[in-house]
Amino acid sequence: MTTDLLILQTLLVGLVSVLMAVMISIIDGIVNNYGDVVVDVNGKKQMTVKGGTKLLGTLADQGIFLPSACGGRGSCGACKCQVESDVGPHLPTETPYLTDKEIKDNVRLACQVKVKADIKVHIPEELFNIRKMECVVEKIVELTYDIKEVLVRMPAGTELNYVSGQYGQFEVPKYGDIKEPTARAYSFSSNPQMKEHVEFLIRLVPGGAVTTYVHKFLKEGQKINVIAPVGDFNVKDTDASMICVAGGSGMAPMKSIFNDRIARGVINDRPIWYFFGARTTKDMFYLDWLWELDAKYSNFHFVPALSEPGPDEDWKGPVGLITTVLDEYLQTKIPLTDVKEGYLCGSPGMLDACMVVMKKNKMPEERIFFDKFA
Amino acid sequence: MKMNEDLKKAQAQMKSGVITVEGFLGYDDRDLATIIQHDEEEMARLNLDWEVVGQAMHDLLKKGSDGLGEPISVDKKWLVHVDETRGTLPSPWAGEGIFHKVNCEVRRLDKEGKPEGKILLFNELSLNMLEKHHFLQGRGSHFRLEPSDVKTVLGMWG
Repeated sequence: MTTDLLILQTLLVGLVSVLMAVMISIIDGIVNNYGDVVVDVNGKKQMTVKGGTKLLGTLADQGIFLPSACGGRGSCGACKCQVESDVGPHLPTETPYLTDKEIKDNVRLACQVKVKADIKVHIPEELFNIRKMECVVEKIVELTYDIKEVLVRMPAGTELNYVSGQYGQFEVPKYGDIKEPTARAYSFSSNPQMKEHVEFLIRLVPGGAVTTYVHKFLKEGQKINVIAPVGDFNVKDTDASMICVAGGSGMAPMKSIFNDRIARGVINDRPIWYFFGARTTKDMFYLDWLWELDAKYSNFHFVPALSEPGPDEDWKGPVGLITTVLDEYLQTKIPLTDVKEGYLCGSPGMLDACMVVMKKNKMPEERIFFDKFA
Repeated sequence: MKMNEDLKKAQAQMKSGVITVEGFLGYDDRDLATIIQHDEEEMARLNLDWEVVGQAMHDLLKKGSDGLGEPISVDKKWLVHVDETRGTLPSPWAGEGIFHKVNCEVRRLDKEGKPEGKILLFNELSLNMLEKHHFLQGRGSHFRLEPSDVKTVLGMWG
């Protein structure tokens, strides 16, 4: 009798659970079913999509890729776009990334806005060039203990048009505890004339989902997605001396810029000073190539500096933080009368410190260009 | 220590895929209250003071920032690499704001100035969680601060 009661009780509990699951499913279908909605982009393109997903993903499904460095997690603030329809007030997850003017202009983070009804958005035209491509990893080179050079080949028949200084989002598949494909942004290190390939320099970030995959698991021949080209860091078309400063994987856009200028025959058209900082020789790479450029082109000056060379290292170059070396060169070696432009790539701390030095040496702030986060 | 509503909400935010891809709990299947309680006991057993540890880590983060994104030796005792990656992270505890992704990797230097094996890895957010909530992250999390490692790397033998 007791056993029968237990079986009956179990059956009842099971039945109630099934009924509740069905009800939840039905309610969810009703509450979260927004039906078909129309997304109007710039008043030029109308797309009918299923409502209920985030604007960033909705646009991506339609082949429109907004910049995003965090994969839509609301932690990078890159996927800004102007929403002309009323989609409710700005969320607390958006406001830290927006200026007062952007909030007034109804600029939103596309990853935080849910498309529930017809919506009008304005997206800068240049972003329509961003595409998602399934590429093949052609070559991986270990440059230092924590930086890898990764060359990927575009899909057959595809050419990527970009300028030196731009970047791409490198997407790796799910692995281990990483339950979904994850993308992060990295500057191109490749020559933009080489349109069938793009190259990245990827430094291992402790605990970084993408960099850990690249350093531990990525293999030559493997397929990965690249979303590109993104970004507005580029070399201005002037005669000013280029004062370039980088550290670590900040080398990437500089390599791209120099090779582009070599390919276009303009490497010697204006003075280029390239300051590259590292701690020890173990952190240095591409030295032979850069010294070769220094020797070959009279207007190209390579200044590598080590902050803490070991006693057993045969280092004859400048010693000190790259900002100290930059300051010394700006004061004593680079003609004061030269019109100068700054090109920086590295961590925000390095960039801020370089800005201080450059401004101290009479370089106008509006002539200093940078790409934070290599 | 019991799981109150704040802890329950925070633990939900710590799961992989919510704030970060990997989350804050690693493979640890204990509840947040238990994780915190065990670490408080372990810190006490090792005679480590939360405030002193937090301050030491702040100092290393600040001095390591002088390396401008490259590793730098600090006080001839530590090799510190502070680097920042794009974006910010909100705290799993609601209303605590957002934190820049400034990672700080600390290794102790031996007498010859060579870095030793143990690494202490933290960022602005993990430092905030240590100080405000005594949360050192779950076992298996990349940013887990194991109390014994904290003691060894920071050299808090006193």
